[in-house]
Amino acid sequence: MAIIERPTPADTISLRMPVTPAQSMGIVRRPVTSTGWKSWVFTVDHKKIGIMYGVFAMFFFIVGGVEALLIRLQLAAPDGKILSADLYNQMFTMHATTMIFLFAMPMAAAFANYFLPLQLGARDVAFPRLNALGLWLLVAGGLILNSSWFLGGAADGGWFMYSPNSGPVFSPSNGVDFWTIGVQIAGFGSLVSSINLIVTILNMRAPGMTLMKMPVFCWMIMVVQFLLVFSLPVITVALVLLTFQRSFGATFFDVAQGADPLLWQHLFWIFGHPEVYVLILPAFGIISEVLPTFSRKPLFGYPFVVFSGASIGLVGFGVWSHHMFATGLGPISVAAFSIATMAIAIPTGVKIFNWTLTMWGGKIWYSTAMKFAIGLIVLFTIGGLSGVTHAVAPSDTQQTDTYYIVAHFHYVLVGGMVFGLFSGFYYWWPKVFGKMLNEKLGGWNFWLMVIGMNMTFGPMHILGLQGQPRRMYVWTEARAGEGFFNFGFWNRVASLGSFILAIGILIFLINVVHTARKGKPAPLDPWDARTLEWITTSPPKEHNFDRIPVVHHLDEFFHRKYQENTTTGEMVQIATGAQLVQAEEDNADAHIHLPSPSYWPIAIAVGVGTLGLGVVYGVPIMIVGVLIILGSAFGFVLEPSVADDIDYDPPMSGGQDTKELAPLG
Amino acid sequence: MSHDSTLTGSEQNLTIFKGMIHSARLRRIGLALGASSAMFLSGCASNAPQDTWQPKGENAEKINTLQWMVFPLAGIVGVLVFSLIGYILWRFRDKGQAIPHQSHGNPTIEITLTIIPALILSVVGVFTFRGIFQLAQTNDTQMVINVTGQQWWWEYDYPAQVVNGVEIAQPIITSGQLVIPTGTKVLLRETSRDVIHSYWIPALNGKKDAVPGRINLLRIQANKPGIFAGQCSEFCGLSHANMRMEAVALSPEDFATWIANQQRNAESPAQATLADEGETVFLNQCIRCHQVNGLKKADGTAAIAAPDENVYAGAAPNLTHLMSRNTFAGAAFDLLTDGCRKNVWSAAPEEFGAVYLKGVIADCLNQTNIRRWLRNAPAMKPMYANPVKLEASDGKYRGMPNLGLSESDIDKLVAYLSTLK
Amino acid sequence: MFTTGSKYYFGVAGLGSLGAVLYMVLVNPCDVGVLALLGIAIAMSLVGGVAQFTDDFDADTVSEAVTASASAPAKSMWPLLLALGGVLLLVGMTAKPIIFILGIVVIFAAGVEWALQSWAERASTDSAFNRFVRERALSSLELPLLAGGIVATIAVAFSRIMLAVSPQSGAILFIMIATAVLVVGFLVALKTNLKKSTIAATCVLGAVVLLVSGGIAGFSGNREELVVAAAEDHYSHKECEAASSEHFDKNSNNAVSMKSGISATIRVKDGKLTAQLIGIDTPVQVVTLARSNLTTILFRNLDDAQYRLVANLGTQKVGDTGVEEEIVDCTQMTGKDQTQALILKISKPSASSGPYTLTVPGLEGQEIAVVVP
Repeated sequence: MAIIERPTPADTISLRMPVTPAQSMGIVRRPVTSTGWKSWVFTVDHKKIGIMYGVFAMFFFIVGGVEALLIRLQLAAPDGKILSADLYNQMFTMHATTMIFLFAMPMAAAFANYFLPLQLGARDVAFPRLNALGLWLLVAGGLILNSSWFLGGAADGGWFMYSPNSGPVFSPSNGVDFWTIGVQIAGFGSLVSSINLIVTILNMRAPGMTLMKMPVFCWMIMVVQFLLVFSLPVITVALVLLTFQRSFGATFFDVAQGADPLLWQHLFWIFGHPEVYVLILPAFGIISEVLPTFSRKPLFGYPFVVFSGASIGLVGFGVWSHHMFATGLGPISVAAFSIATMAIAIPTGVKIFNWTLTMWGGKIWYSTAMKFAIGLIVLFTIGGLSGVTHAVAPSDTQQTDTYYIVAHFHYVLVGGMVFGLFSGFYYWWPKVFGKMLNEKLGGWNFWLMVIGMNMTFGPMHILGLQGQPRRMYVWTEARAGEGFFNFGFWNRVASLGSFILAIGILIFLINVVHTARKGKPAPLDPWDARTLEWITTSPPKEHNFDRIPVVHHLDEFFHRKYQENTTTGEMVQIATGAQLVQAEEDNADAHIHLPSPSYWPIAIAVGVGTLGLGVVYGVPIMIVGVLIILGSAFGFVLEPSVADDIDYDPPMSGGQDTKELAPLG
Repeated sequence: MSHDSTLTGSEQNLTIFKGMIHSARLRRIGLALGASSAMFLSGCASNAPQDTWQPKGENAEKINTLQWMVFPLAGIVGVLVFSLIGYILWRFRDKGQAIPHQSHGNPTIEITLTIIPALILSVVGVFTFRGIFQLAQTNDTQMVINVTGQQWWWEYDYPAQVVNGVEIAQPIITSGQLVIPTGTKVLLRETSRDVIHSYWIPALNGKKDAVPGRINLLRIQANKPGIFAGQCSEFCGLSHANMRMEAVALSPEDFATWIANQQRNAESPAQATLADEGETVFLNQCIRCHQVNGLKKADGTAAIAAPDENVYAGAAPNLTHLMSRNTFAGAAFDLLTDGCRKNVWSAAPEEFGAVYLKGVIADCLNQTNIRRWLRNAPAMKPMYANPVKLEASDGKYRGMPNLGLSESDIDKLVAYLSTLK
Repeated sequence: MFTTGSKYYFGVAGLGSLGAVLYMVLVNPCDVGVLALLGIAIAMSLVGGVAQFTDDFDADTVSEAVTASASAPAKSMWPLLLALGGVLLLVGMTAKPIIFILGIVVIFAAGVEWALQSWAERASTDSAFNRFVRERALSSLELPLLAGGIVATIAVAFSRIMLAVSPQSGAILFIMIATAVLVVGFLVALKTNLKKSTIAATCVLGAVVLLVSGGIAGFSGNREELVVAAAEDHYSHKECEAASSEHFDKNSNNAVSMKSGISATIRVKDGKLTAQLIGIDTPVQVVTLARSNLTTILFRNLDDAQYRLVANLGTQKVGDTGVEEEIVDCTQMTGKDQTQALILKISKPSASSGPYTLTVPGLEGQEIAVVVP
């Protein structure tokens, strides 16, 4: 599609590609349109895929949020009557599953997809069609997961799905089947896209960009992708075992047959703990871009931040059993994992200090993006410190499976991850959509979220230490206690807080609509930013860069704008962002080839989804699924990366799908 | 804070440390610790039955000592970091100053800031290490109780043994309330018949999962007589929220009385009373799953329950001494009226044994609860008890089904159950 | 030599004769099948001879030869394989179903390959491109299937070897093979200038060794213990007498590594039977086991004589017959200082058909009472 040929007059090559024998291969005409729904559904452009990831994730953020509000309504008073026990169990299971697999990971993937090539100075990811496949597999997984609501009830075993409670006897509805299948498919999608992103980072950096000149966001994304590559296979194994137990009568977790149910817990947490870092590190990456930009200073101790991120990833594989301190591992294991868990607090602390010191001596601009980034530092620190209290294993045996843990990980995930993502929204919105999000609404958005989040999750510390366990569909007056710290008051505060948090998020959505309708156009460099994604237009052209930039510095874009006066040491502006973008346009590359859109990624995803439904509903549907996968895989393998001329409408026909060709000369 | 001379050196250190925290000045600092101060404060709650900061026995006290170390430490670190951030945000706001020098960091500061947390954590680590191994100690146990979790109640059986000079000649089986003697190191051997549950009495020790196929050990000890609340804390299915437990500590003398009573078989009620008719209803309905030791069928043979034929996990609570416990159905519902319950829970330690051992006397029986339960159990506590939906478990129940008893049957049954003291 | 066209006919004729011989050996030497196959062979050699005699596809003129060579189809083995498939099909129909299935697979594979090859050859005038197209379409099928086949072959051959040799030599063999693979892999990785043909030869050598030894192992059958064990069914049939049982106690397993989930340890020391419970210091004579629970009991023998632990768990009705049978479970014979585990799940309380006991045949008059509340 995006094929740009700017032949010089001396160039005698034909504008039309030579007619290759590819035509004779009998493949259907490719979807080359650049407008309309087809241009989205069949696209392989990383930016469009990134936006679709974002829309998908935002939708499920709202779904998961509504589930959370229902949970909080149920728990606002003793003996809640809003949800039945069954429905409540489904609700908290799906809240966690949705937020983790269908919001947090896709939203991180949205940022990674959109900004990774832009920050690396690349025209696309390494495998554009695999990129699309990753997205559509995730969509298929998400739809299967949530279709269970309408097909006999959702999964009710908790997102951790401990066996034997997830076995066929204890969880007889189809919900767990949908869950295992859905998570497997979504995980398959993540695996595909993580391999893609790793290859992109390692191979497609702009000339001169060594790994240590790569933006921290790219570093964190790379660590996350490695975490995924090594941890997703583990959960896939566990899920396959569970699927076989539920659908085909295997006995992997059947105690009566001599199985040990702790096997599941080990497999699950070997995945589950790295997953925590999969969720948080992209947010760390985002604010590592935002903080320097709005402090007008480079990140303090760049190598420390990078290597602490990498070591968080590494050590993250060695602490899984701290989720299992109460399962009777024996004192030696408990002690070892306890110490390892404390060890992981060190690199995390390093990050906090480095962000804080990045602001030291800076010139801080309190934009909404910056507010969210600072919010992350503070709220994540609270979550991190409460995390240290349950690294002390004996203390953890009082805290685990209580609301104290709920408070801890919501501070980490809402205060940490969600605030980081929102910081990213405000920072990069002008880049993606060419319009500025309203900063005034942004202020309301930020403060309501801060207040709401602290009101919701702060009291949960108290509830947990007062002994309110998690995952209870009701709490009772008899155990609520009296005095200032009784369950009743703080549960009401938490429920009230959750609605304030919801209003804060609603204001963000209003801001989005407002911006889309009346937002003011964004300047080319609205934040005086530092990295390569700003050296092109907003939104970027399909081919990202008119000229592939050559990198000499960390924060290349900043250093092209400012130069240090060698005598005074002051930073002097030598160019504006707009001038730099113009310079790139003036010296555009002559030959730019990008891969063409394809039917096959989404077709494979449809096949995989059908196969998944077949596992629940019977072999004939499985066969249909396999046939679709097989056929689409052949299509995928056979089609050339670039659409043939014959796939386009003839230039003079007035059709939509004409080839984009630059004028001669 | 008195320093007990039997404490080892580092235990003393911890005690001193704890004493420092108790001192007014540090406490005031602690109060200012932002969100973490909330956790800190929760130690002050009055009458919170599941408070994790009010240890009532040796094991929980050990945990509490560690909590008093790590929570204030976390709080202090938090205050320092937040003060620094606050200062930076105020000092370096954009006042129109020039673009700052593009410094990339300072290795000395970075290394220092890495080493300091590492040092703090290694100190915490040493105490944690000690705590873990102390809490895992079982070789000086004085009493053993088998604890078995099942959806959604706990069964306790006391193997034959000699406790504090009192012999338990025949094993005792009970549920809902765990009765232990004070000042005795009791070892709970936990397991489960179906899914994973977790046994947790915050006042006595942290939680330990009951895993099917495994036996996990949990040591508890209560200092004074009293009743301590707990709650299953591993998600165990539909009625997880209704799976509660209570631990009752009795003085050794009272405990001996309790044992003597538990070893008694149930006696049939006098002929031609309502309770006697209730026994017949019991023999028709309840005996399928619930055992009453000493109960005889009409032909004089022993009536033996066979829950393994009707209940998926294979057991149902033994009701021989139902009225000696204050709760039923997984300690989720009270057998006592609210007033009587309050009397038990608020009894002073020295009177507690006498109040508890009275059991559920006629005036105190919570008629509403027990009748509602007999009328339609699954409506009161969600369970897998709908015969239509039991395909996966071969028609076996998980929990108690709706028996469809008539009101007169319920009257009779309540009369009979009241005799099971 | 042979002309292009005659090759096919001679091939079929040869395979037909081969099929006839196989048929005679495997099925029945005097049967109508032999006649049919021989008939095919004879007819085909006749047609082949005619084709050879008439120089069927040889070009007459230079121009004809040039034209023919320009569009000459590449060499192809698919016709030959297709014919082989047909033969296998026929042989299988009368001989063994497995050969029939093999025939179907071969015909299908050869058919697909042939069809795609001829499609690719007509794709363009550029033969390099045509090869590329063919590979692109077929590699995605061929390579996974081929790899799957190779892996399956290795697995089957290797497992045959492992089942044939004794456990001890099996372990040694396993280590040796793994080491060999590792060493060769290292050498290949280190010596980057190694010739492709050397590597290929090494692999082929390894494959041949594996296949041949696998074949030999397959024909020689499983090692004796396995055959005997299967024949005697001694894994499921327990004999709980005092004397050592010929079948049940063969190959007794004394490697108990269980640490968690032990309900009681039963010991025999100086002819005395005692039970030890975790948390209770003094040995006891009564053990309480929760009902309907998987319960593991360890039996530890500290005496010189061999003993086994027997659990007598009351009686149960046999189906609907009303006949009561005793429930008995036991460990294998346990020698001095050895330990065995007994895993029980008792669903009825001991009051129902008790008393339940744990006894050791040979130590009469002693028992551990089992109470199931």
